[in-house]
Amino acid sequence: MPVLISPAEREYIINGVDHNIRADGRGRLDYRQIVIETGLIPQASGSARCRLGEGTDVLVGVNVEVGQVDMEGDDEVIRERKSKRGRVICNVECSPIASQQFAGRGAEDFNNELTQTLDRVLNGPQGGLNLEKLCIIPGAECWVVNIDALILDYAGNLLDMVFITTRAALHNTKVPKTIITKTEDGLEFDFSDDMEDAERIEGWENVPIAVTLSKIGSRHIVDATPLEELTVDARLLVAVNKNGKICGVQKGGSGSIEPSLLNEMIQTGGTIGQHVIQKLDEQLEREEKETSKKIVRNESVGKLGFFAAI
Amino acid sequence: MDRRRIPGPEASVKPIIERADDEDTQHVAPLKTIDDIRQDGRSLDKIRKAWLAPGIITQANGSAYIEFQGTKVACAVYGPRATKISAFSGKGSLNCEIKFAPFSCQKRRSPQRDPQEKELSHLLFEALAPAVRLDLLPKSTIDVFVTILQNDGNGSCLAASITAASVALADAGIEMLDQVAACSACYIDDEIWIDCTLREEEHAQGSLVLSYMSSLNEITHMLQSGEISVSGTIRTIEQCTEACSKIYSIMGNCLLESVRRKLEKDNTLGGLNKKEG
Repeated sequence: MPVLISPAEREYIINGVDHNIRADGRGRLDYRQIVIETGLIPQASGSARCRLGEGTDVLVGVNVEVGQVDMEGDDEVIRERKSKRGRVICNVECSPIASQQFAGRGAEDFNNELTQTLDRVLNGPQGGLNLEKLCIIPGAECWVVNIDALILDYAGNLLDMVFITTRAALHNTKVPKTIITKTEDGLEFDFSDDMEDAERIEGWENVPIAVTLSKIGSRHIVDATPLEELTVDARLLVAVNKNGKICGVQKGGSGSIEPSLLNEMIQTGGTIGQHVIQKLDEQLEREEKETSKKIVRNESVGKLGFFAAI
Repeated sequence: MDRRRIPGPEASVKPIIERADDEDTQHVAPLKTIDDIRQDGRSLDKIRKAWLAPGIITQANGSAYIEFQGTKVACAVYGPRATKISAFSGKGSLNCEIKFAPFSCQKRRSPQRDPQEKELSHLLFEALAPAVRLDLLPKSTIDVFVTILQNDGNGSCLAASITAASVALADAGIEMLDQVAACSACYIDDEIWIDCTLREEEHAQGSLVLSYMSSLNEITHMLQSGEISVSGTIRTIEQCTEACSKIYSIMGNCLLESVRRKLEKDNTLGGLNKKEG
Protein backbone atom coordinates (compact mmCIF):
# COMPACT_ATOMS: atom_id res chain seq x y z
CA MET A 1 0.00 0.00 0.00
CA PRO A 2 1.84 3.13 -1.14
CA VAL A 3 1.61 6.24 1.02
CA LEU A 4 3.24 8.88 -1.12
CA ILE A 5 2.97 9.81 -4.77
CA SER A 6 5.33 11.96 -6.82
CA PRO A 7 4.03 15.04 -8.65
CA ALA A 8 4.97 13.43 -11.98
CA GLU A 9 2.94 10.31 -11.25
CA ARG A 10 0.04 12.43 -10.12
CA GLU A 11 0.17 14.47 -13.32
CA TYR A 12 0.31 11.27 -15.39
CA ILE A 13 -2.79 9.86 -13.71
CA ILE A 14 -4.76 13.10 -14.00
CA ASN A 15 -3.94 13.47 -17.72
CA GLY A 16 -4.76 9.82 -18.36
CA VAL A 17 -8.14 10.14 -16.68
CA ASP A 18 -8.83 13.24 -18.72
CA HIS A 19 -8.18 11.23 -21.92
CA ASN A 20 -10.32 8.34 -20.68
CA ILE A 21 -7.41 5.92 -20.47
CA ARG A 22 -5.90 4.71 -17.22
CA ALA A 23 -2.53 3.12 -16.43
CA ASP A 24 -3.92 -0.42 -16.70
CA GLY A 25 -5.77 0.30 -19.95
CA ARG A 26 -9.21 0.76 -18.45
CA GLY A 27 -11.59 3.58 -19.25
CA ARG A 28 -12.97 5.90 -16.57
CA LEU A 29 -16.01 3.78 -15.76
CA ASP A 30 -14.54 0.27 -16.07
CA TYR A 31 -14.17 -2.15 -13.20
CA ARG A 32 -11.34 -4.63 -12.86
CA GLN A 33 -12.25 -8.30 -13.01
CA ILE A 34 -14.02 -9.60 -9.94
CA VAL A 35 -13.78 -13.25 -8.88
CA ILE A 36 -16.39 -14.49 -6.45
CA GLU A 37 -16.81 -17.66 -4.41
CA THR A 38 -19.51 -18.49 -1.90
CA GLY A 39 -19.97 -20.99 0.92
CA LEU A 40 -16.32 -21.31 1.91
CA ILE A 41 -16.63 -21.32 5.67
CA PRO A 42 -18.53 -24.30 7.08
CA GLN A 43 -18.79 -22.76 10.57
CA ALA A 44 -20.62 -19.69 9.31
CA SER A 45 -24.27 -19.51 8.28
CA GLY A 46 -23.15 -17.97 5.03
CA SER A 47 -19.92 -16.76 3.54
CA ALA A 48 -18.38 -15.31 0.41
CA ARG A 49 -15.02 -14.19 -0.82
CA CYS A 50 -14.30 -11.69 -3.56
CA ARG A 51 -11.05 -10.88 -5.25
CA LEU A 52 -10.72 -7.79 -7.37
CA GLY A 53 -8.15 -7.75 -10.16
CA GLU A 54 -4.68 -8.50 -8.82
CA GLY A 55 -5.40 -7.41 -5.30
CA THR A 56 -8.20 -6.51 -2.92
CA ASP A 57 -9.41 -9.65 -1.24
CA VAL A 58 -12.44 -9.56 1.02
CA LEU A 59 -13.85 -12.47 3.00
CA VAL A 60 -17.26 -12.07 4.60
CA GLY A 61 -18.77 -14.48 7.08
CA VAL A 62 -22.38 -14.19 8.20
CA ASN A 63 -23.40 -15.76 11.50
CA VAL A 64 -26.98 -15.83 12.64
CA GLU A 65 -27.71 -16.35 16.30
CA VAL A 66 -30.62 -15.93 18.68
CA GLY A 67 -30.63 -12.69 20.63
CA GLN A 68 -32.88 -10.20 22.37
CA VAL A 69 -34.90 -7.67 20.42
CA ASP A 70 -33.96 -4.02 20.68
CA MET A 71 -36.54 -2.17 22.77
CA GLU A 72 -35.00 1.27 23.01
CA GLY A 73 -36.59 4.53 21.97
CA ASP A 74 -38.86 7.09 23.50
CA ASP A 75 -41.77 6.84 21.17
CA GLU A 76 -44.30 4.09 21.86
CA VAL A 77 -44.88 3.51 18.14
CA ILE A 78 -41.16 3.16 17.43
CA ARG A 79 -40.62 0.78 20.36
CA GLU A 80 -43.53 -1.34 19.20
CA ARG A 81 -42.09 -1.49 15.69
CA LYS A 82 -38.60 -2.36 16.99
CA SER A 83 -39.87 -5.16 19.23
CA LYS A 84 -41.01 -7.09 16.18
CA ARG A 85 -37.71 -6.96 14.35
CA GLY A 86 -34.49 -8.88 14.04
CA ARG A 87 -31.17 -7.13 14.18
CA VAL A 88 -28.16 -6.69 11.93
CA ILE A 89 -24.66 -6.09 13.31
CA CYS A 90 -21.79 -5.21 11.00
CA ASN A 91 -18.08 -5.34 11.55
CA VAL A 92 -15.22 -4.72 9.15
CA GLU A 93 -11.67 -5.58 10.03
CA CYS A 94 -8.50 -5.02 8.05
CA SER A 95 -6.15 -7.89 8.68
CA PRO A 96 -2.49 -6.91 9.16
CA ILE A 97 -1.57 -9.44 6.49
CA ALA A 98 -3.06 -7.07 3.90
CA SER A 99 -0.81 -4.14 4.69
CA GLN A 100 1.65 -3.08 7.33
CA GLN A 101 -0.51 -0.05 7.97
CA PHE A 102 -3.26 -2.26 9.32
CA ALA A 103 -1.03 -3.58 12.10
CA GLY A 104 -1.54 -2.57 15.71
CA ARG A 105 -3.67 0.42 16.59
CA GLY A 106 -3.18 2.10 13.23
CA ALA A 107 -6.11 0.26 11.73
CA GLU A 108 -8.58 1.09 14.48
CA ASP A 109 -9.89 4.36 13.07
CA PHE A 110 -9.95 2.95 9.56
CA ASN A 111 -11.85 -0.16 10.69
CA ASN A 112 -14.31 2.00 12.56
CA GLU A 113 -14.89 4.17 9.52
CA LEU A 114 -15.55 1.15 7.28
CA THR A 115 -17.80 -0.48 9.89
CA GLN A 116 -19.90 2.64 10.36
CA THR A 117 -20.35 3.05 6.61
CA LEU A 118 -21.45 -0.57 6.14
CA ASP A 119 -23.66 -0.36 9.19
CA ARG A 120 -25.35 2.85 8.08
CA VAL A 121 -26.34 1.35 4.74
CA LEU A 122 -27.41 -2.10 5.95
CA ASN A 123 -29.11 -1.01 9.17
CA GLY A 124 -32.24 0.91 8.38
CA PRO A 125 -35.19 0.74 6.05
CA GLN A 126 -32.90 0.85 2.99
CA GLY A 127 -30.91 -2.21 4.12
CA GLY A 128 -33.19 -4.56 2.20
CA LEU A 129 -33.39 -7.48 4.62
CA ASN A 130 -36.86 -8.21 5.90
CA LEU A 131 -36.22 -7.73 9.59
CA GLU A 132 -39.79 -8.57 10.60
CA LYS A 133 -39.23 -12.10 9.28
CA LEU A 134 -36.18 -12.41 11.53
CA CYS A 135 -38.24 -11.92 14.67
CA ILE A 136 -38.95 -15.18 16.50
CA ILE A 137 -41.08 -14.08 19.46
CA PRO A 138 -42.19 -10.44 19.33
CA GLY A 139 -40.89 -8.42 22.26
CA ALA A 140 -38.44 -11.14 23.29
CA GLU A 141 -36.30 -13.19 20.94
CA CYS A 142 -35.10 -12.58 17.41
CA TRP A 143 -32.38 -13.59 15.01
CA VAL A 144 -29.27 -11.42 15.09
CA VAL A 145 -27.41 -11.34 11.79
CA ASN A 146 -23.70 -10.76 12.38
CA ILE A 147 -21.89 -9.64 9.26
CA ASP A 148 -18.12 -9.82 9.63
CA ALA A 149 -15.89 -8.69 6.81
CA LEU A 150 -12.20 -9.41 6.79
CA ILE A 151 -9.81 -7.66 4.42
CA LEU A 152 -7.06 -10.07 3.39
CA ASP A 153 -5.35 -8.15 0.62
CA TYR A 154 -5.44 -4.57 -0.57
CA ALA A 155 -5.35 -3.06 -4.05
CA GLY A 156 -7.77 -0.18 -3.80
CA ASN A 157 -11.54 0.13 -3.86
CA LEU A 158 -12.12 -1.58 -0.53
CA LEU A 159 -15.64 -0.43 0.26
CA ASP A 160 -17.16 -1.49 -3.06
CA MET A 161 -15.76 -4.96 -2.53
CA VAL A 162 -16.97 -5.15 1.07
CA PHE A 163 -20.51 -4.38 -0.11
CA ILE A 164 -20.42 -6.80 -3.05
CA THR A 165 -19.05 -9.61 -0.88
CA THR A 166 -21.62 -8.90 1.83
CA ARG A 167 -24.43 -9.21 -0.68
CA ALA A 168 -22.99 -12.51 -1.93
CA ALA A 169 -22.58 -13.80 1.63
CA LEU A 170 -26.18 -12.89 2.49
CA HIS A 171 -27.31 -14.76 -0.61
CA ASN A 172 -25.43 -17.75 0.75
CA THR A 173 -26.83 -17.42 4.29
CA LYS A 174 -29.36 -19.94 5.56
CA VAL A 175 -31.36 -19.40 8.74
CA PRO A 176 -32.62 -22.51 10.58
CA LYS A 177 -36.37 -22.89 10.68
CA THR A 178 -37.97 -22.20 14.04
CA ILE A 179 -41.05 -23.94 15.38
CA ILE A 180 -43.03 -21.89 17.86
CA THR A 181 -45.12 -23.70 20.44
CA LYS A 182 -47.58 -22.27 22.93
CA THR A 183 -47.08 -23.34 26.52
CA GLU A 184 -48.54 -22.17 29.80
CA ASP A 185 -45.71 -19.70 30.31
CA GLY A 186 -46.22 -18.12 26.92
CA LEU A 187 -44.47 -18.79 23.67
CA GLU A 188 -41.51 -21.09 23.24
CA PHE A 189 -39.52 -22.01 20.22
CA ASP A 190 -37.36 -24.79 18.92
CA PHE A 191 -35.15 -25.24 15.86
CA SER A 192 -35.78 -27.67 13.11
CA ASP A 193 -32.83 -30.09 12.92
CA ASP A 194 -33.15 -30.66 9.22
CA MET A 195 -30.81 -28.31 7.36
CA GLU A 196 -32.99 -28.80 4.27
CA ASP A 197 -35.58 -26.68 6.06
CA ALA A 198 -33.20 -23.77 6.53
CA GLU A 199 -34.29 -20.75 4.60
CA ARG A 200 -32.57 -17.83 2.99
CA ILE A 201 -33.09 -14.46 4.71
CA GLU A 202 -36.03 -12.82 3.02
CA GLY A 203 -35.13 -9.67 1.17
CA TRP A 204 -31.48 -10.52 0.47
CA GLU A 205 -32.06 -9.47 -3.16
CA ASN A 206 -32.81 -5.93 -1.98
CA VAL A 207 -29.49 -5.57 -0.17
CA PRO A 208 -27.69 -2.60 -1.69
CA ILE A 209 -24.14 -2.51 -2.95
CA ALA A 210 -21.91 0.54 -3.14
CA VAL A 211 -20.06 2.23 -5.95
CA THR A 212 -17.22 4.57 -5.03
CA LEU A 213 -16.67 7.35 -7.51
CA SER A 214 -13.37 9.15 -7.21
CA LYS A 215 -12.98 12.68 -8.43
CA ILE A 216 -9.70 13.13 -10.30
CA GLY A 217 -9.18 16.55 -11.84
CA SER A 218 -12.63 17.55 -13.06
CA ARG A 219 -13.67 13.99 -13.95
CA HIS A 220 -14.67 10.96 -11.95
CA ILE A 221 -13.66 7.29 -12.13
CA VAL A 222 -14.80 4.02 -10.58
CA ASP A 223 -12.65 1.29 -9.02
CA ALA A 224 -9.54 3.33 -8.25
CA THR A 225 -6.19 1.61 -7.75
CA PRO A 226 -4.05 2.54 -4.71
CA LEU A 227 -2.00 5.00 -6.76
CA GLU A 228 -5.14 6.61 -8.15
CA GLU A 229 -6.57 6.82 -4.63
CA LEU A 230 -3.60 8.98 -3.64
CA THR A 231 -4.43 11.39 -6.46
CA VAL A 232 -8.07 11.67 -5.42
CA ASP A 233 -9.12 14.63 -3.34
CA ALA A 234 -12.81 13.82 -3.04
CA ARG A 235 -14.69 10.58 -3.44
CA LEU A 236 -18.34 9.72 -3.28
CA LEU A 237 -19.76 6.44 -2.10
CA VAL A 238 -23.14 5.76 -3.68
CA ALA A 239 -25.13 2.80 -2.34
CA VAL A 240 -27.66 1.41 -4.82
CA ASN A 241 -30.16 -1.46 -4.73
CA LYS A 242 -31.32 -3.61 -7.60
CA ASN A 243 -34.13 -1.20 -8.51
CA GLY A 244 -31.62 1.57 -9.05
CA LYS A 245 -32.78 3.42 -5.93
CA ILE A 246 -30.17 5.34 -3.98
CA CYS A 247 -29.70 3.81 -0.51
CA GLY A 248 -26.96 6.03 0.83
CA VAL A 249 -24.43 8.61 -0.25
CA GLN A 250 -21.32 9.59 1.58
CA LYS A 251 -18.56 11.93 0.61
CA GLY A 252 -15.03 11.05 1.60
CA GLY A 253 -11.61 12.61 1.30
CA SER A 254 -10.58 16.18 1.95
CA GLY A 255 -11.79 17.86 -1.26
CA SER A 256 -15.08 19.41 -2.28
CA ILE A 257 -17.42 18.72 -5.19
CA GLU A 258 -19.41 21.13 -7.31
CA PRO A 259 -23.22 20.54 -7.12
CA SER A 260 -23.64 19.76 -10.85
CA LEU A 261 -20.76 17.26 -10.76
CA LEU A 262 -22.22 15.75 -7.59
CA ASN A 263 -25.55 15.17 -9.34
CA GLU A 264 -23.77 13.60 -12.29
CA MET A 265 -21.76 11.33 -9.98
CA ILE A 266 -24.88 10.15 -8.16
CA GLN A 267 -26.55 9.38 -11.48
CA THR A 268 -23.52 7.45 -12.77
CA GLY A 269 -23.26 5.59 -9.47
CA GLY A 270 -26.91 4.58 -9.75
CA THR A 271 -26.63 3.11 -13.24
CA ILE A 272 -23.30 1.38 -12.65
CA GLY A 273 -24.45 -0.08 -9.33
CA GLN A 274 -27.56 -1.58 -10.89
CA HIS A 275 -25.44 -3.14 -13.62
CA VAL A 276 -22.98 -4.63 -11.11
CA ILE A 277 -25.83 -6.14 -9.09
CA GLN A 278 -27.22 -7.75 -12.22
CA LYS A 279 -23.84 -9.33 -13.06
CA LEU A 280 -23.35 -10.42 -9.46
CA ASP A 281 -26.73 -12.11 -9.27
CA GLU A 282 -26.12 -14.00 -12.51
CA GLN A 283 -22.83 -15.31 -11.13
CA LEU A 284 -24.38 -16.25 -7.78
CA GLU A 285 -27.11 -18.20 -9.52
CA ARG A 286 -24.57 -20.02 -11.70
CA GLU A 287 -22.49 -20.96 -8.69
CA GLU A 288 -25.52 -22.17 -6.76
CA LYS A 289 -26.53 -24.44 -9.63
CA GLU A 290 -23.04 -25.93 -9.79
CA THR A 291 -23.03 -26.65 -6.08
CA SER A 292 -26.42 -28.33 -6.16
CA LYS A 293 -25.27 -30.45 -9.11
CA LYS A 294 -22.24 -31.55 -7.07
CA ILE A 295 -24.46 -32.49 -4.15
CA VAL A 296 -26.66 -34.60 -6.43
CA ARG A 297 -23.59 -36.41 -7.77
CA ASN A 298 -22.41 -36.85 -4.16
CA GLU A 299 -19.17 -35.01 -4.84
CA SER A 300 -17.33 -32.96 -2.26
CA VAL A 301 -18.54 -29.34 -2.19
CA GLY A 302 -15.66 -28.18 0.00
CA LYS A 303 -13.07 -25.98 -1.60
CA LEU A 304 -9.40 -26.69 -1.56
CA GLY A 305 -6.84 -23.98 -0.98
CA PHE A 306 -9.38 -21.25 -1.46
CA PHE A 307 -7.15 -18.37 -0.56
CA ALA A 308 -4.60 -19.30 -3.20
CA ALA A 309 -7.19 -19.78 -5.93
CA ILE A 310 -7.68 -16.71 -8.06
CA MET B 1 -17.04 0.25 32.28
CA ASP B 2 -14.68 2.63 34.01
CA ARG B 3 -15.13 2.02 37.73
CA ARG B 4 -12.96 4.95 38.70
CA ARG B 5 -15.34 7.42 37.17
CA ILE B 6 -18.77 5.88 37.46
CA PRO B 7 -19.62 4.69 40.94
CA GLY B 8 -23.09 3.60 39.92
CA PRO B 9 -24.58 0.19 39.21
CA GLU B 10 -23.52 -1.51 35.98
CA ALA B 11 -26.94 -1.48 34.38
CA SER B 12 -29.60 1.14 34.83
CA VAL B 13 -32.95 1.95 33.32
CA LYS B 14 -34.74 5.19 32.75
CA PRO B 15 -37.62 5.69 35.18
CA ILE B 16 -41.05 5.46 33.61
CA ILE B 17 -42.73 8.78 34.14
CA GLU B 18 -46.45 8.78 33.83
CA ARG B 19 -47.60 11.41 31.47
CA ALA B 20 -50.33 13.86 32.31
CA ASP B 21 -53.37 13.49 30.08
CA ASP B 22 -52.82 16.63 28.02
CA GLU B 23 -49.21 15.66 27.46
CA ASP B 24 -50.33 12.24 26.32
CA THR B 25 -52.49 13.66 23.58
CA GLN B 26 -49.57 15.77 22.44
CA HIS B 27 -47.44 12.65 22.35
CA VAL B 28 -49.54 10.95 19.74
CA ALA B 29 -50.22 14.19 17.89
CA PRO B 30 -49.34 14.01 14.20
CA LEU B 31 -46.00 15.41 13.09
CA LYS B 32 -47.67 18.04 10.93
CA THR B 33 -51.06 19.54 10.23
CA ILE B 34 -52.87 19.19 6.92
CA ASP B 35 -51.43 22.46 5.63
CA ASP B 36 -47.88 21.22 6.29
CA ILE B 37 -47.24 23.13 9.50
CA ARG B 38 -45.01 21.22 11.88
CA GLN B 39 -45.49 20.93 15.62
CA ASP B 40 -43.16 23.82 16.30
CA GLY B 41 -45.03 26.02 13.85
CA ARG B 42 -42.72 26.07 10.85
CA SER B 43 -43.28 24.74 7.35
CA LEU B 44 -41.40 21.74 5.93
CA ASP B 45 -38.70 23.75 4.16
CA LYS B 46 -37.85 26.08 7.06
CA ILE B 47 -34.96 25.69 9.45
CA ARG B 48 -35.47 26.12 13.17
CA LYS B 49 -34.73 29.47 14.78
CA ALA B 50 -30.98 29.73 14.93
CA TRP B 51 -28.82 31.57 17.43
CA LEU B 52 -25.14 31.93 16.73
CA ALA B 53 -22.41 33.64 18.74
CA PRO B 54 -18.70 33.64 17.92
CA GLY B 55 -16.01 34.17 20.56
CA ILE B 56 -17.70 32.87 23.68
CA ILE B 57 -14.83 30.85 25.14
CA THR B 58 -12.14 33.15 26.54
CA GLN B 59 -9.27 30.65 26.55
CA ALA B 60 -9.64 29.51 22.95
CA ASN B 61 -8.11 31.18 19.90
CA GLY B 62 -11.52 31.05 18.31
CA SER B 63 -14.88 29.73 19.41
CA ALA B 64 -18.55 29.65 18.53
CA TYR B 65 -21.82 28.61 20.05
CA ILE B 66 -24.80 27.61 17.93
CA GLU B 67 -28.35 26.76 18.80
CA PHE B 68 -31.13 25.37 16.64
CA GLN B 69 -33.76 25.39 19.38
CA GLY B 70 -33.22 21.95 20.93
CA THR B 71 -29.81 21.36 19.37
CA LYS B 72 -27.05 23.20 21.20
CA VAL B 73 -23.43 22.96 20.23
CA ALA B 74 -20.28 24.72 21.45
CA CYS B 75 -17.02 24.68 19.54
CA ALA B 76 -13.51 25.88 20.33
CA VAL B 77 -10.49 26.14 18.05
CA TYR B 78 -6.94 26.02 19.42
CA GLY B 79 -3.86 26.60 17.34
CA PRO B 80 -2.22 26.51 14.93
CA ARG B 81 0.49 24.86 17.00
CA ALA B 82 3.56 22.80 16.10
CA THR B 83 2.75 19.21 15.23
CA LYS B 84 4.08 16.85 17.88
CA ILE B 85 5.04 14.02 15.53
CA SER B 86 8.47 14.62 14.05
CA ALA B 87 7.62 13.50 10.48
CA PHE B 88 7.60 16.45 8.11
CA SER B 89 4.36 17.41 6.46
CA GLY B 90 4.05 20.19 3.94
CA LYS B 91 0.40 20.55 4.80
CA GLY B 92 -1.01 21.38 8.18
CA SER B 93 -3.27 18.89 9.88
CA LEU B 94 -6.73 19.50 11.19
CA ASN B 95 -7.58 17.58 14.32
CA CYS B 96 -11.34 17.44 14.86
CA GLU B 97 -13.06 16.00 17.88
CA ILE B 98 -16.79 15.80 18.53
CA LYS B 99 -17.95 14.91 22.01
CA PHE B 100 -21.47 14.42 23.27
CA ALA B 101 -21.96 15.71 26.80
CA PRO B 102 -23.09 12.77 28.99
CA PHE B 103 -26.42 14.51 29.57
CA SER B 104 -26.98 15.57 25.96
CA CYS B 105 -29.14 12.65 24.83
CA GLN B 106 -32.17 10.91 26.20
CA LYS B 107 -29.99 8.06 27.34
CA ARG B 108 -26.84 8.93 29.26
CA ARG B 109 -23.73 8.78 27.12
CA SER B 110 -20.51 7.41 28.48
CA PRO B 111 -17.79 10.03 29.02
CA GLN B 112 -15.46 7.82 27.02
CA ARG B 113 -15.23 8.28 23.29
CA ASP B 114 -17.54 5.85 21.50
CA PRO B 115 -17.36 4.72 17.85
CA GLN B 116 -20.13 7.11 16.79
CA GLU B 117 -18.23 10.10 18.14
CA LYS B 118 -15.09 8.93 16.39
CA GLU B 119 -16.93 8.68 13.11
CA LEU B 120 -18.64 12.06 13.53
CA SER B 121 -15.22 13.58 14.23
CA HIS B 122 -13.97 12.12 10.98
CA LEU B 123 -16.99 13.46 9.08
CA LEU B 124 -16.40 16.89 10.59
CA PHE B 125 -12.82 16.78 9.34
CA GLU B 126 -13.95 15.83 5.84
CA ALA B 127 -16.47 18.66 5.80
CA LEU B 128 -14.02 21.33 6.95
CA ALA B 129 -10.84 20.22 5.18
CA PRO B 130 -11.80 21.58 1.72
CA ALA B 131 -12.30 25.07 3.17
CA VAL B 132 -9.24 25.49 5.41
CA ARG B 133 -5.98 26.61 3.77
CA LEU B 134 -3.93 23.82 5.30
CA ASP B 135 -1.28 24.30 2.61
CA LEU B 136 -0.31 27.59 4.30
CA LEU B 137 0.41 25.89 7.60
CA PRO B 138 3.18 23.30 7.17
CA LYS B 139 4.28 21.36 10.24
CA SER B 140 1.32 22.68 12.25
CA THR B 141 -1.87 21.36 13.72
CA ILE B 142 -5.17 23.05 14.34
CA ASP B 143 -7.38 21.54 17.03
CA VAL B 144 -11.14 21.78 16.66
CA PHE B 145 -13.10 20.62 19.69
CA VAL B 146 -16.87 20.37 19.53
CA THR B 147 -19.08 19.61 22.50
CA ILE B 148 -22.71 18.80 21.88
CA LEU B 149 -24.61 20.09 24.88
CA GLN B 150 -28.07 19.11 23.79
CA ASN B 151 -29.14 16.77 21.03
CA ASP B 152 -32.42 17.32 19.23
CA GLY B 153 -31.86 15.45 16.01
CA ASN B 154 -28.72 13.48 15.14
CA GLY B 155 -28.53 15.00 11.67
CA SER B 156 -28.88 18.51 13.00
CA CYS B 157 -26.13 17.82 15.57
CA LEU B 158 -23.62 17.06 12.86
CA ALA B 159 -24.82 20.01 10.77
CA ALA B 160 -24.63 22.38 13.74
CA SER B 161 -21.16 21.08 14.60
CA ILE B 162 -19.89 21.79 11.09
CA THR B 163 -21.41 25.27 11.04
CA ALA B 164 -20.10 26.13 14.52
CA ALA B 165 -16.62 24.80 13.73
CA SER B 166 -16.48 26.88 10.57
CA VAL B 167 -17.40 30.05 12.45
CA ALA B 168 -14.93 29.22 15.23
CA LEU B 169 -12.14 28.74 12.67
CA ALA B 170 -12.92 32.15 11.19
CA ASP B 171 -13.05 33.62 14.68
CA ALA B 172 -9.58 32.21 15.32
CA GLY B 173 -8.35 34.06 12.25
CA ILE B 174 -7.40 30.92 10.34
CA GLU B 175 -7.29 31.46 6.61
CA MET B 176 -10.13 29.76 4.78
CA LEU B 177 -11.40 29.68 1.22
CA ASP B 178 -15.00 30.10 2.32
CA GLN B 179 -17.32 29.50 5.24
CA VAL B 180 -18.92 26.07 5.42
CA ALA B 181 -22.62 26.02 6.25
CA ALA B 182 -24.36 22.72 6.90
CA CYS B 183 -27.96 21.61 6.97
CA SER B 184 -29.83 18.36 7.58
CA ALA B 185 -33.00 16.98 6.04
CA CYS B 186 -35.19 13.89 6.42
CA TYR B 187 -37.54 12.00 4.13
CA ILE B 188 -40.84 11.34 5.83
CA ASP B 189 -43.59 9.81 3.70
CA ASP B 190 -42.01 10.90 0.41
CA GLU B 191 -41.65 14.49 1.53
CA ILE B 192 -38.51 16.42 2.32
CA TRP B 193 -38.36 17.91 5.79
CA ILE B 194 -35.56 20.36 6.47
CA ASP B 195 -33.79 20.44 9.86
CA CYS B 196 -35.66 17.70 11.73
CA THR B 197 -36.06 17.33 15.47
CA LEU B 198 -35.34 14.05 17.21
CA ARG B 199 -39.00 13.09 17.23
CA GLU B 200 -39.42 13.76 13.53
CA GLU B 201 -36.21 11.85 12.86
CA GLU B 202 -37.58 8.71 14.50
CA HIS B 203 -40.30 8.60 11.86
CA ALA B 204 -37.96 9.25 8.96
CA GLN B 205 -37.28 6.77 6.19
CA GLY B 206 -33.99 8.45 5.37
CA SER B 207 -31.85 11.45 6.07
CA LEU B 208 -29.30 13.76 4.54
CA VAL B 209 -26.62 16.03 5.95
CA LEU B 210 -25.07 18.42 3.49
CA SER B 211 -22.36 21.03 3.96
CA TYR B 212 -21.89 23.70 1.37
CA MET B 213 -19.65 26.66 0.60
CA SER B 214 -22.04 29.25 -0.80
CA SER B 215 -19.67 31.72 -2.44
CA LEU B 216 -17.57 29.02 -4.08
CA ASN B 217 -20.61 26.90 -4.96
CA GLU B 218 -18.93 23.70 -3.77
CA ILE B 219 -20.31 20.89 -1.65
CA THR B 220 -17.80 19.91 1.02
CA HIS B 221 -19.67 16.99 2.51
CA MET B 222 -22.67 14.83 1.94
CA LEU B 223 -24.03 11.96 3.98
CA GLN B 224 -27.26 10.32 2.93
CA SER B 225 -29.11 7.25 4.12
CA GLY B 226 -32.48 5.79 3.26
CA GLU B 227 -33.91 4.48 0.02
CA ILE B 228 -34.78 7.19 -2.47
CA SER B 229 -34.75 7.67 -6.23
CA VAL B 230 -31.91 9.47 -8.01
CA SER B 231 -34.13 12.45 -8.87
CA GLY B 232 -35.34 12.62 -5.26
CA THR B 233 -31.76 12.76 -4.02
CA ILE B 234 -30.95 15.58 -6.41
CA ARG B 235 -34.05 17.52 -5.31
CA THR B 236 -33.07 17.14 -1.65
CA ILE B 237 -29.55 18.35 -2.38
CA GLU B 238 -31.03 21.45 -4.00
CA GLN B 239 -33.30 22.17 -1.03
CA CYS B 240 -30.43 21.66 1.39
CA THR B 241 -28.08 23.96 -0.50
CA GLU B 242 -30.80 26.62 -0.37
CA ALA B 243 -31.13 26.22 3.39
CA CYS B 244 -27.33 26.26 3.70
CA SER B 245 -27.22 29.60 1.89
CA LYS B 246 -29.61 31.00 4.49
CA ILE B 247 -27.44 29.73 7.34
CA TYR B 248 -24.41 31.10 5.49
CA SER B 249 -25.82 34.63 5.59
CA ILE B 250 -26.49 34.28 9.33
CA MET B 251 -22.88 33.18 9.82
CA GLY B 252 -21.55 36.13 7.83
CA ASN B 253 -23.63 38.63 9.79
CA CYS B 254 -22.61 37.18 13.14
CA LEU B 255 -18.93 37.23 12.28
CA LEU B 256 -19.13 40.84 11.03
CA GLU B 257 -20.97 41.84 14.15
CA SER B 258 -18.39 40.20 16.40
CA VAL B 259 -15.49 41.87 14.59
CA ARG B 260 -17.23 45.24 14.89
CA ARG B 261 -17.75 44.66 18.60
CA LYS B 262 -14.11 43.70 19.05
CA LEU B 263 -12.94 46.84 17.25
CA GLU B 264 -15.21 49.05 19.33
CA LYS B 265 -13.90 47.49 22.48
CA ASP B 266 -10.32 48.06 21.35
CA ASN B 267 -11.13 51.68 20.50
CA THR B 268 -12.63 52.43 23.89
CA LEU B 269 -9.69 50.79 25.62
CA GLY B 270 -7.28 52.60 23.35
CA GLY B 271 -5.73 49.24 22.46
CA LEU B 272 -2.91 48.64 20.02
CA ASN B 273 -5.28 47.36 17.36
CA LYS B 274 -6.89 50.77 17.04
CA LYS B 275 -8.10 51.28 13.51
CA GLU B 276 -9.17 54.51 11.91
CA GLY B 277 -12.50 54.85 10.11
